Amino acid sequence: MSDSYAVDVDRVTRRFGAFTALDGVTLQVRRGEIYGLLGPNGAGKTTLIRLIVGLLEAQSGTVTVLGRRMPDVGVLRKVGYMTQQAALYPAISVEENVRFFADINGAEDGVREVLELVQLYERRGSVVATLSGGMRQRCSLACALVHRPELLLLDEPTVGVDPQLRVQFWEDFRRMAAAGTTIVVSSHVMDEAERCQRLGLIQFGRLLAEGTPSEIRAQAGKQNLEDAFLELAGAVAR
Amino acid sequence: MSGHRVAAITRRLMQGFRRDRRTLALLFVAPIIILGLLGYLLRGSASAPAVGIANQDSGPLGAIVTNSLDQSSLIHTSTIAASDGDAKLKDGTLVAYIVFPTDFTAQVQSGNVAPQVHLEGSQPGEDSPVVQALQQAMIGLSSQVAGRSVHFQPQVIRLYGSSSYDTLDYFGAAFIGLVVFFLVFVITIVSFLNERSQGTLERLMASPLRRGEIVLGYMIGFTVLALVQAAEVLVFSLAILKVQNQGNVALIFGMEALMAIAAVNLGIFLSMFARSEFQAVQFIPLVIVPQMLLSGIIFPVTTEPKVLQYLSDVLPLTYAVDGMRDIMVKGADLTWPALQLDAGVVAGFCVLLIVAGTATLRRRIA
Repeated sequence: MSDSYAVDVDRVTRRFGAFTALDGVTLQVRRGEIYGLLGPNGAGKTTLIRLIVGLLEAQSGTVTVLGRRMPDVGVLRKVGYMTQQAALYPAISVEENVRFFADINGAEDGVREVLELVQLYERRGSVVATLSGGMRQRCSLACALVHRPELLLLDEPTVGVDPQLRVQFWEDFRRMAAAGTTIVVSSHVMDEAERCQRLGLIQFGRLLAEGTPSEIRAQAGKQNLEDAFLELAGAVAR
Repeated sequence: MSGHRVAAITRRLMQGFRRDRRTLALLFVAPIIILGLLGYLLRGSASAPAVGIANQDSGPLGAIVTNSLDQSSLIHTSTIAASDGDAKLKDGTLVAYIVFPTDFTAQVQSGNVAPQVHLEGSQPGEDSPVVQALQQAMIGLSSQVAGRSVHFQPQVIRLYGSSSYDTLDYFGAAFIGLVVFFLVFVITIVSFLNERSQGTLERLMASPLRRGEIVLGYMIGFTVLALVQAAEVLVFSLAILKVQNQGNVALIFGMEALMAIAAVNLGIFLSMFARSEFQAVQFIPLVIVPQMLLSGIIFPVTTEPKVLQYLSDVLPLTYAVDGMRDIMVKGADLTWPALQLDAGVVAGFCVLLIVAGTATLRRRIA
């Protein structure tokens, strides 16, 4: 039953003109797990996330999110989406940005908690344009979290974030997952992939392999994920 | 100063333009459209304003001048009864009417002729061909009255406006609306594009927000700003510039508000067709200049070549400008069918744009 999955992507193909960004991808994300979408730049990760959130429509195949066939505006109340670039309003403050996203997602409170979570509560009055790249990324995460979504889609959330905060982010992700939030996170950083419960390896718009990090290492017969990924990607190219 | 480095900058610019086909097209197409329009407007066979002639002269001279006016290419004449004249000015069928009084022939004998020229008067551009045609006809007349010098002293009566009005009084009404329309349009199109380019529109689309909610929220936000601006423009025009006003200030403000709402929605709608602020800025000459030329702000619509009149008739700014003049120069209120039409068309245009903006919003989020 697709309802047991938070995300059910079934034989999805998406082309942009002559370019095929996704080619018959099938994958399922279970409720409450951290699922990593792994692949090089241009592999199709962002396209897949946009399809899951309903910004794009598949030319063939179906995407089901929290039991609703996408695109479906109604289900988006339960979805948090953090875009690749920190998409914020630069002219207003951190708190004003977060409150705005709380309002449009129908959340009445939680602004303070989420600002404390991303360690921006002290800087809540700062205008976003004056923040460093890492702080903007944290603010962007806060905007995606503020309405306590059941499904959190994070498109390369740790780009530009320093190592300490990156560790902090992943602890937070794990805590949220333990509390029942499903997290789909895209990355091309292998060390982050190790922290996911399950992985989908994407290249050239196809799903190369799927499983826990250790399953993927075993499948490729390699010691670490990076080698495993190169091996699996190479097998496709050969 | 290194020629090599300067050349690098120039080359980089050219490379950018080569890939930005839309900018290139606008760069070369826009001036042709604008200048072509201006050329046709000024050189094309202008439409002659409709002028009524009421010849009450008991002598022969009234008929001679009438005949001469009939031949004039500057105006289009028709015979009317003097008593119908004002009604025809009001409903817009005539721009002016000329009355030759019963003693017209006798006046020529005395050397001082004073035909009555009744002008609608709300647009000076419409009046000048009338006075010019009459002057030419009178010159022809004086050559026929041998051996006498004849003074031509037309008695000018204006239905609207007055001889004390200056250029600003006539154009002020139109420009008050135009200033608001133009500035609000520019601000909206650029900030809606920002929403697109900074990625926040993608976030909005991935939230439970409906498209209509986004458009409506934007519209209200910008309209509030625009109304403050409209109030400022109005106060400055009336109190500092002392532009004459015959109408109700609240009505002027209402018309300004309608124009502001139209401008906001035009900005949102057109931002769908621009990929960058750079491209958006290029919409300005294409959207604003033709409307400035054709909406009757400078050149009265009735004197435009016929083909351009059809174009003027479908531009929202034509109705907006006409409405502003109706209120400020003619003192119109909402019981006037002319003002009802103007306000109705502008309001209808707003609704059309809101629907169009909402329908096209989903396209090209990134």
